[in-house]
Amino acid sequence: MSTIAPAPPVLTSEDAAPPITRRRRGRIRWGMWISLAVIALFGFAPVYWLLVTSLTPTNLVFTFPPTLFPREISFDHYATVLGNPLIFGYLRNSVIVSVITAVLAVAVSMYMGYAFSKYRFAGRKSLMYFVLSSQMFPQALLLVTLYLVFAQFGLLNTYLALILSFTTFTLPLCVWMLKGFFDALPDDLIEAARIDGAGPWRIFHSIVFPLAAPGLVAAGLFAFVRGWNDFIFALTLAGPDRQTLPPGLVNTFISEASTSWPALMAASLIVSVPVCVAFILLQRYLVGGITAGAVKG
Amino acid sequence: MTSSSVVAPDTAARRKRGAPLSERTFLTFLLLPGVVLLCAIVLYPLIRSLVSAFFDESLLYPGMTFVGLDNILAVLTDDFGRLVQQTLIFTVGATVAPFLIGLALALVLNQRFPGQRFLRGAFLIPWLIPGVVVSFLWMWIFDANYGVLNGMLITLGAIDSPVAWLFQTDTARAALIIAKTWNTFPWIMVMMLAALQTVPGELHEAASMDGAGTIRRFFAVTWPHIRGVAGLVILLEFIWNFQHFDTIFVLTGGGPAGTTSTFATEVYDTAFKGYDLGHAGALGILWMALLTVLVVLYVWLSERGEKGARR
Repeated sequence: MSTIAPAPPVLTSEDAAPPITRRRRGRIRWGMWISLAVIALFGFAPVYWLLVTSLTPTNLVFTFPPTLFPREISFDHYATVLGNPLIFGYLRNSVIVSVITAVLAVAVSMYMGYAFSKYRFAGRKSLMYFVLSSQMFPQALLLVTLYLVFAQFGLLNTYLALILSFTTFTLPLCVWMLKGFFDALPDDLIEAARIDGAGPWRIFHSIVFPLAAPGLVAAGLFAFVRGWNDFIFALTLAGPDRQTLPPGLVNTFISEASTSWPALMAASLIVSVPVCVAFILLQRYLVGGITAGAVKG
Repeated sequence: MTSSSVVAPDTAARRKRGAPLSERTFLTFLLLPGVVLLCAIVLYPLIRSLVSAFFDESLLYPGMTFVGLDNILAVLTDDFGRLVQQTLIFTVGATVAPFLIGLALALVLNQRFPGQRFLRGAFLIPWLIPGVVVSFLWMWIFDANYGVLNGMLITLGAIDSPVAWLFQTDTARAALIIAKTWNTFPWIMVMMLAALQTVPGELHEAASMDGAGTIRRFFAVTWPHIRGVAGLVILLEFIWNFQHFDTIFVLTGGGPAGTTSTFATEVYDTAFKGYDLGHAGALGILWMALLTVLVVLYVWLSERGEKGARR
């Protein structure tokens, strides 16, 4: 599967190497198409199966071996999922938690990113490394004590527990994305405003903030997706009333005795839609943001 | 942070005009919310859990008794070797496989051909799907009774009877790596495509004029340009996989018989199923020690990368 390209003929000596012939170029093309086809099969077949299963009537799901092309299509499972009041509760929790997380993460990280970008102060570098490295701490370990801490403050089974943790865990990436945005804003602009007599608050809120709006939206979507996708924190910190969709789906559809696969697949597709939409809106900033967050110190 | 001196680009001019006090207040305001959150949600819990490694502490009853190194010694003599091995198997597998696939795909999609832009987008789907859904999907594919994998292999005649992929030691490990690989390779593709943009086309032409073949050109021209990003991608993936939880927890729960458990699932189980916080903390300390080595390496590499970029 790791084929990059087919091996070209071994060169006997460097001088004798011929220019690329048409035949060799053709062979490279073929190798390319074959690797593409293999990877495409690996990448897309599971998605196809997700879709097909969600559309298969229950009585046909448990036939073995399964048929690759559905003989009958039914939307019953989508109706089942959308008609389940529990799922709506999880959906509501997911929306509340993810939206507030997004807003809060943007608010906190834009200030931090601005400070890192436009100010030089003692301890700046260490603080930046602390922010960056905090995404490396194992979350399963943090979870154990977060559970105790939240229990102590009576925050278990509240939205706040989830919002605070999701916001904090998205900070490293959001701060880095936004620092990149602020870096791109010319200092002269800020200086001009300063000469005109604007104070630092004014400068940030009426000049920098509007200019950074696209970056803020991107960071917000990122935080939203983080909150929407999380499983382990929601499973542990949110009680039954505050559980979001990912653990909610496990509770609803997976049981020792029998799992309602088609309904689970339908629900899975429904859960994936907001993430895909967020991504389509986000993709312009995505590569730059990720690369910056990952690569730059 | 309190001792911070605000030094904006035009230091001297502004110092004379004054107003450093309001600047300093402003800077504190900028940094404080983030710092408070990071300390409360990351730093404090981290320290707290590392401290509990030295105590006998349980979720079932209050209070803690100092036991010194007992917990850590117990972990070291008990499961440590097995956990390191199992965590490494998963981490290495789930890093190398998606890297090779992602790189191969990036090389192909870096060529110009009809539909190439569309494919770049479409291949991101496995990465966009929420982690839990990825787990559900592969759980269904690997299902022993009705899974499509068994169905296909039986139809093709590769196996005679259905295999319980997730309930046998070897296949369960492979299954986890496959599921995680499927989820990760698009991200690596994106990163490597970004890196490939930095390779100057003229160099390739010059190299093929000199008669270098595809593989030769890859190692002589392409690889030196993308090596930096590749290294960081591999390291980041390694660090993330080293602490990965979701896929393992949902697909195998660390089973069969604990053979796919890693530090992440073991810490979780020890704390929330065994209620033994001291033991979980001890596992955490050792886990963190291994991770610290990786993080130091990461910081060092990224610092070097930035210096290289500035030059």
